[in-house]
Amino acid sequence: MSELTHNPTPLERIQSAFKSFGLPRMIIAGMLVVLLVAAPFVGANFWMQITNVINRFTWNGVLVLAMVPMVHSGCGLNFGLPLGIISGLLGATLSLELGFTGPMSFVMAIILSTPFAILLGAGYGWLLNKIKGGEMMIATYVGFSSVSFMCMMWLLLPYHKPDMVWGYAGTGLRTTISLEGYYDQVLANFLQIKIGDLVIPTGSILFFALLAFLMWAFLHTKTGTAMTAVGSNPTFAKAAGINVDRIRLLSVVMSTWLGAIGILMYQQGFGFIQLYMAPFNMALPAVSAILIGGASVNKASITNVVIGTILFQGIVTMTPTVMNNMIHMDISEVLRMVVSNGMILYALTRKTEVNR
Amino acid sequence: MNRRRLFFGIATVAVLIAIAACMMVIGRGHTMYFDNKKLEYEGQTVDTIRRINVFVGDEQVAKLSAKDRGMATFTGQTLKFRLEVIREKGRDSEFFDYTVKVPYGQDGTVLNLPAMIEGLPAEAYTSEFVPIVTEEEVDEEIITDDFGLSEDMDMDVGAEG
Amino acid sequence: MKKSNASSGKKLLSFLGANSVTIMFVIIVAICIPLSGFSPVFLINEIITRMGRNIFLILSLLIPIMAGMGLNFGMTLGAMAGEIALILVSDWQIWGIPGVVLACILSIPISALMGLMCGKILNASKGREMITSYIISFFTNGLYQLVVLYMMGPIIPIIHNSIKLPRGYGIRQTVGLLTMRQSLDNALALRVGGVKIPILTFIIIALMCFAIVWFRRTKLGQDMRAVGQDMDVARDAGINVERTRILSIIISTVLAGFGMIIYLQNMGDMATYSAHSQIGMFCIAALLVGGASVDKASIGNVFLGVVLFHLMFILAPKAGGVITGDEMIGEYFRVFVSYGVITVALVMYETKKRRAKASMGEQLEAEQREEDAR
Repeated sequence: MSELTHNPTPLERIQSAFKSFGLPRMIIAGMLVVLLVAAPFVGANFWMQITNVINRFTWNGVLVLAMVPMVHSGCGLNFGLPLGIISGLLGATLSLELGFTGPMSFVMAIILSTPFAILLGAGYGWLLNKIKGGEMMIATYVGFSSVSFMCMMWLLLPYHKPDMVWGYAGTGLRTTISLEGYYDQVLANFLQIKIGDLVIPTGSILFFALLAFLMWAFLHTKTGTAMTAVGSNPTFAKAAGINVDRIRLLSVVMSTWLGAIGILMYQQGFGFIQLYMAPFNMALPAVSAILIGGASVNKASITNVVIGTILFQGIVTMTPTVMNNMIHMDISEVLRMVVSNGMILYALTRKTEVNR
Repeated sequence: MNRRRLFFGIATVAVLIAIAACMMVIGRGHTMYFDNKKLEYEGQTVDTIRRINVFVGDEQVAKLSAKDRGMATFTGQTLKFRLEVIREKGRDSEFFDYTVKVPYGQDGTVLNLPAMIEGLPAEAYTSEFVPIVTEEEVDEEIITDDFGLSEDMDMDVGAEG
Repeated sequence: MKKSNASSGKKLLSFLGANSVTIMFVIIVAICIPLSGFSPVFLINEIITRMGRNIFLILSLLIPIMAGMGLNFGMTLGAMAGEIALILVSDWQIWGIPGVVLACILSIPISALMGLMCGKILNASKGREMITSYIISFFTNGLYQLVVLYMMGPIIPIIHNSIKLPRGYGIRQTVGLLTMRQSLDNALALRVGGVKIPILTFIIIALMCFAIVWFRRTKLGQDMRAVGQDMDVARDAGINVERTRILSIIISTVLAGFGMIIYLQNMGDMATYSAHSQIGMFCIAALLVGGASVDKASIGNVFLGVVLFHLMFILAPKAGGVITGDEMIGEYFRVFVSYGVITVALVMYETKKRRAKASMGEQLEAEQREEDAR
């Protein structure tokens, strides 16, 4: 990736690679390697573990990808991801309510969630344009407020489908809705490859790859480069005649839409729609995943997304099994909290041009 | 200036430690169990008493018929209490005052009152209270999610006016 | 005359704008009181109980605001320290007021250490203290669980099985604090027509208020205000900015630890793993409801905020139940309002900051023009 103009010694090359990779990332990557090596020794099925990691990667990949546009346009880490997730949830529940089944329900969920994502994203983007410089904190609380607002809405909105609403009352959506018969595993089962214990959900990977490619391609269009310019140097961008606010708005809408698609992907793999307080927990893992992948508060690439998601989900899925088998003590949850939040802290304390 | 500050710092810490130590002594809570039970000690048998009332301060903490057990909680390592002993119906009650010291590390202490009144040595009538361990089969599930929103949402759990 | 009228109208408007959150709350509460059907005695009793329980915790937020570090979401750290102290004290079986005092003393070193850590991290992330302190609270929650769930038992001795998990290490989901339950509140309690007033707790709160007022006048307090106004100016004036900021966070964390202990002695039991997780959010929301903003908060804001916020908290489920026939709606509503309030306050603060920046730019420009003209 890095093309150096002068001829560095191999040692220098390694050193600079280490430096750009960052110490925390090294530690996490090292941890994952140790876990992978240790897995067979403690009696965990290696290939099953790999399958798990790949699966979790496909569930979460798009949610992490949703971070990219906003980071690029300088809006910081998208702690407001729950807003996108809500659009996705609205799309998903509407698709089910309208009676779509099988793969069609997935397509319809995407289509139906799109207007919500655009609408909510536009409002959110407008707000973030008013408060440049304080995006991350406000994003967090916009996410929280909208999740708690939707908690009321899930109870009040006139959904009627029997397998979605509470049985005894006939109204109010359930906290979890099974997707069996709808779009549970539709992508994962598409062109699925099975080699012994290793199962590769080809369809999911392809779908993620498609979105990632589109994202990459977009970032190389004129608008895409303008977005990067706005993020890296807004004064310069303004001078170059770029409408900064419009570009930022676009990036927020994109992030929100990807968040919506992301949660649909997650549901597709997980098999359930989770409502009410569930979206609350979802921003932080995605944020820390992209940071683990090497992104910073104002720089992120597709590679960061892929590496970060694999590393983060690798740690999350491997530690419980390996730890449990090794010391009969499940500290994976605590470890996950310390690692993911520690990573975010690390990123926040790096010196970057905050003052815009 | 700096030395003065250091002195004040050390003094504050010392005072806090002193207060903490003091609190650990006066605040240590104990439970005293009063038994009105039959006791055999070195061949001597002490029988139960018809009725014993236990007073701590002005408060009556236990009314014990034969074979009963009563209890009182207190902080600090000594408990002063008064016993009203009624041996037979109609007979005047006798009063006894006692001051009992308990070891710091002992949560619960059992006193056998008849033996105490009889004047037996301390090791005859005192014993440590050992709680009966009820073996729990299932581990409690610990919910450790980032947001404990699902349940402990409100601040008024267990609140009372 | 006319002019002054116009300006007073403008003043009123700006007053309404600045206090919109508070006014909105007054309206919500005014609507909810008759709907809920609670008796006045019940409401007054609840409010007084909750004031005693909560005010100290919220007071801990004032000092970082003074130092310009915004709303200290890291107060959760203090709450955790208080909880650790309470676990130890209840394992050592220290009861009543001595138990509370001992817990407070024990919490000091833990809070101070965590506050130091928090302050150092916040110094490395100037300009985004709030989001950072918010993430720190999650990070530390992980460390807290590591200590309480795994280290208590094998490393930190825990004697009593009543608070230890059956598996032999870790603390149970709830720790009973019956032996010190409301020991402060009951110590000098006064009953006035069915309303219990916890005098001792209020005396402690009053002392704390005086301490804060006094602290503002000390050298350190003045330094903090200077740092809060403008870090560069303060640095030029010879103030050690970093140290002052760290101190403000340490003080806040220690006070939050005391506050949490007061809070939990009133509750009488402690949800080991969730008692602290929401406390920061609620305290901050309450403070903002009282009319505080990210850069300005007074003791008056704290009292007003506690009354209004808790009234809403008591009333919302019942009123929600009356309106929609489902009490859950009310419960979600109050969560929504808590988050909404913080969001609105943050947005107002950021827009104000931007406007100030813009007007300063204009002023500079005008001065420049004037100079050019000369």
